[in-house]
Amino acid sequence: MQRSPAHLFITFTLIGLSGFGGVLPWARRTLVEQKQWLTSQEFNALLGVCQLVPGPNIVNLAVCVGERFGGVRGAFAAVGGLMLAPMTIVILLALLYDHYGEFERVQGILRGISSVGVGLIAATGFKMLKDELDYPPMLAVIAISIVIATIYQLALGWVVAITLPLALAVAWRKAR
Amino acid sequence: MMIGLVGLFIKLSLFSLIAFGGVNALLPTLYDISVNQEGWIDPQTFIHYFAIAQAAPGPNLLTVTLIGWNAFGLAGAVLATLAVCWPSCILIFYLQRVIAKLRHLQWKKTIEYSASALAVGLVLASAWQIAIRINGNWMAYALTVFSILFVLLSKRHPLYLIGLGAILGFFGLI
Repeated sequence: MQRSPAHLFITFTLIGLSGFGGVLPWARRTLVEQKQWLTSQEFNALLGVCQLVPGPNIVNLAVCVGERFGGVRGAFAAVGGLMLAPMTIVILLALLYDHYGEFERVQGILRGISSVGVGLIAATGFKMLKDELDYPPMLAVIAISIVIATIYQLALGWVVAITLPLALAVAWRKAR
Repeated sequence: MMIGLVGLFIKLSLFSLIAFGGVNALLPTLYDISVNQEGWIDPQTFIHYFAIAQAAPGPNLLTVTLIGWNAFGLAGAVLATLAVCWPSCILIFYLQRVIAKLRHLQWKKTIEYSASALAVGLVLASAWQIAIRINGNWMAYALTVFSILFVLLSKRHPLYLIGLGAILGFFGLI
């Protein structure tokens, strides 16, 4: 099914503008739960492909969704929508920060919102985890990737390099 | 100024090419480039801009936008944002087409299943790492855990949580 570039631009503007503390949870909410352009599994697969490429994953996701529903123009529209309004707002905030950034209460508010934001990212991870429960061997792969990244603190490039062969092997069996 | 902008664009394009898992996953590297190597920004402003980018609506890569803003004004903000986006946009555009055209169904499914499992792992790991970086006391961790449960168990709009975080932070509890 195709969408017009204008439609994609507006949809991703709304996703970008509601994305407090990371856009991913809101992209999932909009694309899967509200508009139902993608099923939960499709979203996970698409995001997975986006994570294989270096760079901001959410921009990659906008390129993928834009391309799927509107071709090259759709991809440009989605990325433009995602970035334009938030860029404007964050620059305005930077101007305000120049004046009020010294106040302890302002810094407190920023800290409080950040703690919520990281919770939103984690919650998205747990929602995605639900879809993996139907094939338990894959949970081991996920657990290994988390342990390598958090406990051994390897850079994510290494995490991908180490986990990918294992993930491919398990996925090959799951796909059969 | 012109040479500075070109340098900004090239350095951040290269940074983008190694940023597996997104900008926040390589925050220490970004810090090293912009504070220590290039002097685009001082340490304290870097941390505060990071918090603003987290708190503002929009992608986390806005930290990079603000680094460009701090060094070269509006032109710097726009160029920094473009620099961090264009390499992966081109890569993913072609990668997605290749995967969509794969005829062998088992291969296609294998790639999708493994990529999706990897995504779950990376999202959870990065949430864990960011939590350790930003949460300063037990109240902050409690708020993060509460936010997770709220999203998983309630149908209410997560914006309520943002409000709660702002209020708790305003009264100096976080």
